[in-house]
Amino acid sequence: MNIKLELFGSSRDFSNKDFIEFNFKEKCTIKDLRNEILKFIDKKFNGNKSYKNLVSVSAFCSEKNEIINNDYKINKDQKIGIIPPIGGG
Amino acid sequence: MLHAKIIDIKKEKIKISSAEKFIASSKFGASIFFIGTVRDNNENKKVTGITYDSHDELVIKSFNTIYKEVNKKLNIKDKAIFIEHIKGYVCLGEISIIIAVACKHRDQAYVLSRFIIEEIKKKSPIWKKEHYENTDNEWLKGNPIQTN
Repeated sequence: MNIKLELFGSSRDFSNKDFIEFNFKEKCTIKDLRNEILKFIDKKFNGNKSYKNLVSVSAFCSEKNEIINNDYKINKDQKIGIIPPIGGG
Repeated sequence: MLHAKIIDIKKEKIKISSAEKFIASSKFGASIFFIGTVRDNNENKKVTGITYDSHDELVIKSFNTIYKEVNKKLNIKDKAIFIEHIKGYVCLGEISIIIAVACKHRDQAYVLSRFIIEEIKKKSPIWKKEHYENTDNEWLKGNPIQTN
């Protein structure tokens, strides 16, 4: 299963692209996805604390543009947006 | 009556005249324009510009939610609300947001305008990256998004 994580705000620093792709063998939850992103930070950014903290405090958004919680189940290929703390206006 | 839009600065301009046109009506006796612009300093750093990023669909959804909350919480029945927020790089002094409101009386208009900007700060997924004189840049910390 392929999850395309769309990057916004400060999470854009995680990649030169607008997204990062994660592959899961079976269905997962947002909590699992969050853990995979943390592993990605460990691997690619040597466990950068600031990036890891950002992942921990971020919300996530479904393809239907709804804010979803840690228990939200992902059981098919889809796009998920990471929503770091906001500050527009 | 609501107008809500994200303006991609690479494609179009944000214009106060559009807001004036939208809220103009002889039904209303009070209008307020809130214009947010990029200022030249923040926390003792000299700012040269700001890049705004947004989750467009979610931002528009949040603007609609705020409009519905106005109906519930403020009980202002007749009103026009115009909200546009910029996306992309904005230079010093340029406009990042326009909130224009019109309703019957001035008390309502002041409350309405303030309510909308404060709710946008809490609910609309928009991010700022400040650019500084020494060519450094930094995403501002912000606060976790609120959904209700």
